[in-house]
Amino acid sequence: MTDTTTGTGTITHSTRYVGADLPRKEDPALVRGSVVYVDDVQLPGMLHAAVLRSPHAHARIVSIDTSEARALPGVHAVLTGEEALDHIGPLARFCAEEVVEHAIAVGKVRYHGEAVVAVAAESRYVAEDALAKVRVEYEPLPVVTDVVSATAEGAPLVHENLESNVVYHHEFAFGDVEGDFAGAAHIVRRELRWPRATAAPMETNGAVVKYDPATGRMDVWSNTNLLNFGAWVMSATLRVAPHMLNFHPMAVGGSFGSKHFLAKQVAIAGALAKATGCPVKFMEDRADNLLASDAQGPERQHVAELALDADGTFRSLRIRLLDDYGAYFMLAIAGNTNPLSQIVGPYRIRSVSYDVSAVLTNKNQQGVFRGAGADVTNWVLERLVDAAADELGFDPIDLRRRNLIQPDQFPYKIPTGNSYDSGNYPAVLARALELADIDHWRAEQERAREQGRYIGIGIATAQQRSTYYASEFWFHNVGAPAPFTTTAESVRLRIGPTGGVTATLFTPSWGNSQETVTAQLIAAELGVDPAGIAVDLAPTMHGLPSAGPGGSRMTVMLSGAITGAARKLREKIFQIAAHRLEASVDDLELRDGVVSVRGTDSQMTLADIGMQAYWQSVNLPPGMESGLEATFTYDPPFFSLPNDERTDLGNFYPIVGHGCHVVVVEVDPETGQIDFLRYVAVHDHGTVVNPRSLEGQIRGGIAQGIGIALYEQVAYDSVGQNLAGSLDEYVLPGAPDVPRVEIAFVETPSPWTAHGVKGGGEGGRMIAPPAVTRAVEDALLPFGARFDALPIRREDVVELCAGESA
Amino acid sequence: MEAQDSGALELVELRVNGVGRRVGVEPRRLLVDVLREDLGLTGTNVGCSQGVCGSCTVLVDGATVRSCLMLAVQAHGRDVVTVEGLADGAAMHPVQQAFLDAQAQQCGFCTPGFLATAVELVERDTQPSETEIREALAGNVCRCTGYEHIVDAVIRAAEAQAETREAG
Amino acid sequence: MKPPAFAYRRAGSVAEAVAALSEAPGRARLLAGGQTLVQELAARTTTVDTLVDIDTLPGLDHVVIEPTVVRVGALCRIATLERHAELADALPALVDSAARVAHPAIRNRGTIGGNVAHADPASGIPPVLLALDGEVVLVGPAGERTVPATEFFTGYRQTAAASDEIITEVRFARTGPRSGSAFAEISRRARGWGLAGACTAVRLDGSGAIEHLRIGLLALAPTARRAEAAERAGIGRRPEAATAAELAELAVADLEEIPSDRTASATLRRSLGRVSVRRALTLSFARALGG
Repeated sequence: MTDTTTGTGTITHSTRYVGADLPRKEDPALVRGSVVYVDDVQLPGMLHAAVLRSPHAHARIVSIDTSEARALPGVHAVLTGEEALDHIGPLARFCAEEVVEHAIAVGKVRYHGEAVVAVAAESRYVAEDALAKVRVEYEPLPVVTDVVSATAEGAPLVHENLESNVVYHHEFAFGDVEGDFAGAAHIVRRELRWPRATAAPMETNGAVVKYDPATGRMDVWSNTNLLNFGAWVMSATLRVAPHMLNFHPMAVGGSFGSKHFLAKQVAIAGALAKATGCPVKFMEDRADNLLASDAQGPERQHVAELALDADGTFRSLRIRLLDDYGAYFMLAIAGNTNPLSQIVGPYRIRSVSYDVSAVLTNKNQQGVFRGAGADVTNWVLERLVDAAADELGFDPIDLRRRNLIQPDQFPYKIPTGNSYDSGNYPAVLARALELADIDHWRAEQERAREQGRYIGIGIATAQQRSTYYASEFWFHNVGAPAPFTTTAESVRLRIGPTGGVTATLFTPSWGNSQETVTAQLIAAELGVDPAGIAVDLAPTMHGLPSAGPGGSRMTVMLSGAITGAARKLREKIFQIAAHRLEASVDDLELRDGVVSVRGTDSQMTLADIGMQAYWQSVNLPPGMESGLEATFTYDPPFFSLPNDERTDLGNFYPIVGHGCHVVVVEVDPETGQIDFLRYVAVHDHGTVVNPRSLEGQIRGGIAQGIGIALYEQVAYDSVGQNLAGSLDEYVLPGAPDVPRVEIAFVETPSPWTAHGVKGGGEGGRMIAPPAVTRAVEDALLPFGARFDALPIRREDVVELCAGESA
Repeated sequence: MEAQDSGALELVELRVNGVGRRVGVEPRRLLVDVLREDLGLTGTNVGCSQGVCGSCTVLVDGATVRSCLMLAVQAHGRDVVTVEGLADGAAMHPVQQAFLDAQAQQCGFCTPGFLATAVELVERDTQPSETEIREALAGNVCRCTGYEHIVDAVIRAAEAQAETREAG
Repeated sequence: MKPPAFAYRRAGSVAEAVAALSEAPGRARLLAGGQTLVQELAARTTTVDTLVDIDTLPGLDHVVIEPTVVRVGALCRIATLERHAELADALPALVDSAARVAHPAIRNRGTIGGNVAHADPASGIPPVLLALDGEVVLVGPAGERTVPATEFFTGYRQTAAASDEIITEVRFARTGPRSGSAFAEISRRARGWGLAGACTAVRLDGSGAIEHLRIGLLALAPTARRAEAAERAGIGRRPEAATAAELAELAVADLEEIPSDRTASATLRRSLGRVSVRRALTLSFARALGG
């Protein structure tokens, strides 16, 4: 138990709830199948939409004949992009550049799968029948399918109003990079390529939109994260005033960032709802999702260099990269500013140069995918560290250990200006090595080599920043048009007349256990049983500020919001109790749902207090409002603005977690089969609220990290055809492909958050790829293996080993 | 039997979760759509419509079937069990309970499909090894959990099933 | 992804099914388990005027094990084969192959007739048919005919079956004492489509040397095929590791039409094919030696 004296009574935080593996409140509805996802929503008179997609990667739309489609019985509306402009505007974007995107293409198509026509009909079956009757005439245009062809002299322009396909370029420089490189004893250089991937959650993106022209009100049921802040983002697109837009938070079948700025599907359903006067559901099928969901991840080519002293001390880091953004630029370079929060990893690197060129090509655009670009830089940095160990003869573990930021250096300001709040990286590394029994595996590796078998060991030590702040979306533009600084989260807490507790959240639920965490945190504040707490989600018309899940923020934000609301409730609880018990507030304590006068038998339960608050106004302190409810809107702590020159980006992501993964694999050179022999992950996400739940997120993230290391790639061919239009082609790891992961937590609480929590939702995916890459590489070092690109496919292994032995 | 014109409705009579149902459906309607829309059983989810992800898995005559790969007309005369039919009122099916105890779900979208596959596995096989369990689950894709808690759940469920068999 | 409209009829007998196919040649198709056809209809990569449903047609789901042949009804489900104890003794390669078809739910519905008729080069049953000197029994308007497996798989997803014929039975030869057969396959992720695979069948003579050898290949050509050169080279050899390795090398050496695409390169398939043949031969030898 920890005691905190606040001057308004003593509260005893019950740590039996924070850190407990409580069963999840969400689960019974999930195993019964009673939870409501978007596709489960049925409204009277609802129509179903389907979308005709461009077969070409780049083409002018010459003509569209929808007459036959319109005539089909059961079809209510058919909209081309031009026709949709009667109902909706262009999609919102966070970039300052004039990269205009419409939910349904206008004038030309810029990627294979871009929407060309949308239909609303009485069923999805009929809607697809109608699509088959649409005739589109295209004039194919030359295609650019990679950063090289897109940046070549005379390359065809993806957006003709821009001068070049390089839509943005900037070198972010912090510290004396030139000097640090000039004075270095060694420079390690690698050209590293990260593949295009997509989140591919099991539930696709979708929306049901109902528009009432009589009142001007639009209701949206969508698995988008664009709820409260989204009302003003979507308002111009939907042409509905923000206060008339009501988004209903949904249970969501996974997102991993891909539903964060889901707007296109809402816009399509909205346009059709306006055109037909009926509610319209547009649910992506899997092909829609893989081709066109605006959620692909970064696709980067880097030239990366690490400068070291003779003794292996890291001095400086220089990265120059081209990022293939696809055909649009809705988030600008958020995926490249995000990593600047932790670009030096857990190491005492003193200067950094990050030179980023964002290139437009004829592909579906990037969104944010778990890690938001910092997964990529973790991999780049750890590849350089392993390269330094190989080239310079250092042990990869010693090299890391000697460069780690030390526990007495926190809060630690990195060269970019962001801070790391707390950590103990040497302890995490030590624990991981101990659990993994490194010496045993090194011996096994030698024994195996004697038998002609190949075992490899990979280690990664890397960061997982959490709780994103707003400035990363705009600080890349000095004089940014929309320099917002708020990413708040709200909670409403109510204690009823019989002491029952209800919490209202204003965020969709991504499967990230936020109901459970909410209940545990409330229990910790008020001492009530979390199983008895009701948690509800409110639509935006009744809503308070919320930015929803993403950037591993929910635990921190809910912690802060709940603590704030609970503090207000406790003030009122103590005032009522003091009045009723004729005691001073300073003599009261709240423990396990009971308020008592310290050292006496005099007490009131929360039920007693609730009854007074709602039904006995005459017993309340004079002037007190009836009821027992409090709301709190929590802004992330410790934010600071960037300077004008952008040589100091301010504190924009200072709640930073950390982890170490140790991976052991065996690789079969003849088949390319990679088997995991051991996987250990030690993570530090500050105070852990629900260990089993966080472990689940880490294991799921590791599965995605294995996915990108070995299986996943969105590939476009030379004429821009997306070759991954089904889950047969975009291969996700299955149960036999993912190992058991032993997880341990080291907890260095954040000094800046309620309960010292940090976010941990992204860490598994952010740390696994370099560890897995190195493990496979280590196994195949006898064949001269060096993996500078992902995924490592079977053919890469087989061809490497065949070449070497030939 | 004469061929029906395309668009004409076929009468399908089947048992769903123990209740006799009759629906008139176009022959082209997928079983998953008829379950979800015509019969209101939205617990079964559509993940890919391509037969790859397993989210739509239900039990037909006691065997797992991808309901996105079965025409509803092919369920005529058959016994279908969806996730809604697993629990017995307030009492969870032992496999559901095992999933709860192991915290085997996060977003839950794939869960009904996994439950059907797990029910078939534990009812058929008394002592599946972890490798056998993972192979049996290989046709159900989960993007959230990394599978470990699901495997834990199936191990628990198989043990519970073995105990029940021994006792009975 | 929803199917387009089609006319639908359920056939109660083979004769009815044949009549329905004959009425609309090329525009009527059989629907059994539907694990391939329903997906193609939903994706609208295939259209059909009339679907003739034979899924519940009686009398075609037998497994009959005779001294020199195993006869399997076309509507026998893959899952039935997978769990058939007698068949596991008589023809282990067929059971091994059945167990590797996709996933349990696919095996519950998919039929052996459907698998053979679809003839995807990565399907598991055609190489078994080839390795076990199989035959396909067809019934059409002109009556019944039997086609040897070696003449049945004619090209990429092409077979010798006419559009008005229905497969009623597939047959596998049993090669007598001192025989062994096995199936091996390697996929990109567990139980996905095979990237390469093989079915081998061997019989030893009285002195323990190979007197009969068949090697059927999966996903190493536009359709299932045999590795004839390796088969010939195996005659008279001893059933041991060196033989398996050499014959495996030979089996993939002269393949000129190995599919090479984003799923797998020809180099990879060749290597996986070599390993599959070696593994299948190794297990076949063990079984023939009485293991």
